[in-house]
Amino acid sequence: MTEVLEIRDGVPSFAISVGTMEWNKTGSWRYMRPRYEDKIPPCTVGCPTNEKIPRYFALVKEKKYEAAWHIILEDNPLPGVCGRVCYHPCETVCNRLEFDEPIAINHLERFVADQNFTRRYPKHFFVPKNGRKVAIVGSGPAGLSAAYQLARRGYEPVIYEARDEAGGMLRLGIPEYRLPREILDKEINDIISLGVIIKTGVSIGTTISWDSLKKDNDVVLIATGAHKPRSIDLPGSNLTGVTSGLSFLTRYNLTGKADIASRLLVVGGGNTAIDTARTAIRLGADVTLVYRRSRDEMPAVPEEIEAAEQEGVKIQYLTAPIAFLGTDRLEKVRLIRMELGTQDKSGRRRPIPILGSEYEVEVEQVLLAIGEIPRLDFLPHSFDKTGKRVTVDSFQLTNQKGIFACGDVAAGPVGTVVDAIATGKMAALAIDQYLTKGEITPPPQIKNGVPYAELNLDYFFPEQRAPSRFTPAGESIRSFEEVHHGLEPSDALYEAHRCFSCGVCTECDLCLIYCPDVAIKQTRNGSGYIINYDYCKGCGLCVKECPRNAMTFEEEVQ
Amino acid sequence: MKRVLEAQLDKYFNPQTTAEIKVIEGTHAASHAAKLARVKTISAYPITPQTSIVELLSEMCASGDLEAQFIKVESEHSAMACLIGAEATGARSFTATSSQGLLLMHEVLHWAAAARLPIVMVNVNRALAPPWNIWTDQTDSLAQRDTGWIQFYAESNQEVLDTILMAYRLGEQVMLPVMINMDAFFLSHTAEPVAIPKQNLVDEFLPAYRPEFTLDVNDPRAFGGLTKPDRYMEFRYNIQKAMETAARLIPTVAEEYDYLIGRHHGTQVEEYRTEDAEYLLVTSGTITGTTRIVVDQFRDQGVPLGLLKIRTFRPFPDQAIRNAVAHVKKIGVIDRNISFGSGGIFFNEIKAAIYNAKVHPLLNGYVAGLGGRDVTPSVITDIAEHLIKSKQGKDLIWIGVKK
Repeated sequence: MTEVLEIRDGVPSFAISVGTMEWNKTGSWRYMRPRYEDKIPPCTVGCPTNEKIPRYFALVKEKKYEAAWHIILEDNPLPGVCGRVCYHPCETVCNRLEFDEPIAINHLERFVADQNFTRRYPKHFFVPKNGRKVAIVGSGPAGLSAAYQLARRGYEPVIYEARDEAGGMLRLGIPEYRLPREILDKEINDIISLGVIIKTGVSIGTTISWDSLKKDNDVVLIATGAHKPRSIDLPGSNLTGVTSGLSFLTRYNLTGKADIASRLLVVGGGNTAIDTARTAIRLGADVTLVYRRSRDEMPAVPEEIEAAEQEGVKIQYLTAPIAFLGTDRLEKVRLIRMELGTQDKSGRRRPIPILGSEYEVEVEQVLLAIGEIPRLDFLPHSFDKTGKRVTVDSFQLTNQKGIFACGDVAAGPVGTVVDAIATGKMAALAIDQYLTKGEITPPPQIKNGVPYAELNLDYFFPEQRAPSRFTPAGESIRSFEEVHHGLEPSDALYEAHRCFSCGVCTECDLCLIYCPDVAIKQTRNGSGYIINYDYCKGCGLCVKECPRNAMTFEEEVQ
Repeated sequence: MKRVLEAQLDKYFNPQTTAEIKVIEGTHAASHAAKLARVKTISAYPITPQTSIVELLSEMCASGDLEAQFIKVESEHSAMACLIGAEATGARSFTATSSQGLLLMHEVLHWAAAARLPIVMVNVNRALAPPWNIWTDQTDSLAQRDTGWIQFYAESNQEVLDTILMAYRLGEQVMLPVMINMDAFFLSHTAEPVAIPKQNLVDEFLPAYRPEFTLDVNDPRAFGGLTKPDRYMEFRYNIQKAMETAARLIPTVAEEYDYLIGRHHGTQVEEYRTEDAEYLLVTSGTITGTTRIVVDQFRDQGVPLGLLKIRTFRPFPDQAIRNAVAHVKKIGVIDRNISFGSGGIFFNEIKAAIYNAKVHPLLNGYVAGLGGRDVTPSVITDIAEHLIKSKQGKDLIWIGVKK
């Protein structure tokens, strides 16, 4: 062709810089500054032990199951137990709930634990001993959690357990079809491997006196739980055939045997009541459960209630016993129908008997499961108490110097395994401070998780939650085999991928891709990013695009 | 008569240069042209009646027939912004739009031209809203007059295809972007036989795009940075010079295309039966084809009527027009567009072009067919008769406005 683009006096036809423009530090234009800041996800807030859920999910996504297990173990030494029996308050606050369905966090915790069933703790868990002993009374989830956290910090905790085996209510109360004993034994053995000494068959107040225990130890942690069944003062309560559900469960769980009648009534609406009913139905009984309020007020885990119904437990809501009838042994129970009135202190609607609605049913056995309270008779009277429990402050410290309490024996959140683990962990952290600094300062308060509105949902699509796998009800009642089978590995990965990872960077690279100033780089070791503030103009695109609110945008300090 | 037509068809659809004759819409003629040009980047936002252009291209990309990046965007402004980035790295790029979409692009149209990026875009001439109207009208593209884009107006689907290929050749020579305009529906959605030239011939005509300066991560430079008053004017001078160069190159490019592929649609203009013409109609777009018939009818009756088809609006064919009007007595310009407060846009440009000419024939401006209203042979006959009878030139004559 004839003519091409003309370069006149060596100057091209359009403006082009003679070199790089790196001298032009556009960061000086900035009045807003983005920065990376991991925030607390709602699930971590919802979990009483504050498990770092998106952190271990990220490792599950990479199939680094052992590393994922280590993350859980920072807060909870019993993931195999919790992954089966926890009432998963994390899932009820999961942001995915507003989008489609919450992540199956509980199943994933179990999945991670099960993947590590044959593994032992890593080397870095074993720290040099500091020579300080801590006495812990009770080897339930609270005592185990505290002992574990203390051992991780170099202490030599000694647990005194009145029973012949460790585990507390995990072993005594929870049936095997929910928690196979090999899982419990594995996790207890892991804790023991840290150097925790569990002295079984030692009852404080009988084998060793409280005073000598106190005298021999700088610190004592009471974690004896709540094992005394609440009694009910009704005519005929003393008849043969009227017993507590918990003692029935304990007998069966420890010996594999328990007396069972063919027609049986369980009274109560908590997890013990459901465990009692489901155990009884496995032993061949015709089981009816009566609860004085409606299903909405029932404290048992909804999945458990559903499973009980599917297995054939007949549940009579708004029904309560008023008398147990019989000459020598129980023959009949007189029941009354209830209706719900105004809210009581617990926030639930108070049941009110409907006069004239009484009726009688013929049964041979009644198992009462209307709650448990701690035994405090081994303690001196000088302990402050709240209701029937030992008063503690927010660091699980009682009113006695060096005496802490956690789990169901202490006032506060009670009744669930995870709350016991959480208060045990808190007690251990407090004891550590007490013994090293002489005073206890509160750990940073974890309050609100990343709200749903702060997420950038453009990168997510509605996806169904992975299905749970169960043994069908007709088959499940024939044995004490575990009913729930956890997640398929592919479903576990799928669930980990569904996680929004609220407030926690997953290194998705969107910030890096969107930065119009190319001011974001991956760190040299490949984890996370750095912002080159020499060039970041503070446009905020990175913060806006971040799907999970793991960045913060704030005014530049001049 | 029949034999003459066949001979013409043989020339038009030359089997030596044609891979395939397809009966296709104007939009698809544009898609095939982009594919033949081996574009590397396509970015577009859908708008009627353009959408089928990029739909077919997206299918070509998906099937692997065309190895190009198809970038989906949220607006026409972003589409052009994407292509500016792509073209700056040396990737030949393509987009298509229409009407409001073109208007939304306006800011970046200036950028593309001043950054000297030879992007090629097809605009389907469609009326502007309100009221909503999807039919043809040239005001959308003519409103981009000062953006620095070369503008072609096509008469047939074949001309659309051929002009796109010539546009890459021309634009990459002068480093200016090129817009090819086709009438909504009359071309965009009307199927005509279109000869798809052989790829090897197109490759010979249109070598790979190798600009002198490209964005390069290994040699970072800023394009289009701050330029002070002591330099800015020179860059503007360069753009005007490039336009003038383009005006000189257009006949050469057309000749080369004719030489290799065997079709010639004219240079900046095309004259039809202008020999000894005393009266001249000036048209652009599809009105031209209809006007050819009217001109034939007048010539059959011995009336010396001729036709001047304008192919490029920018660069404006001032010299070609001065040459064409040197011997005529009366000129009628038919505009399918309106510049409110003035009149037909081609008319005004032509009036300006002949001001400095030696002769000043009578000049009438006709505005017709806005928003896709039919401009039929009888409408053009009325215009021609009006022109012939005119004693005094008139700037703005509305055709067919309902009372």
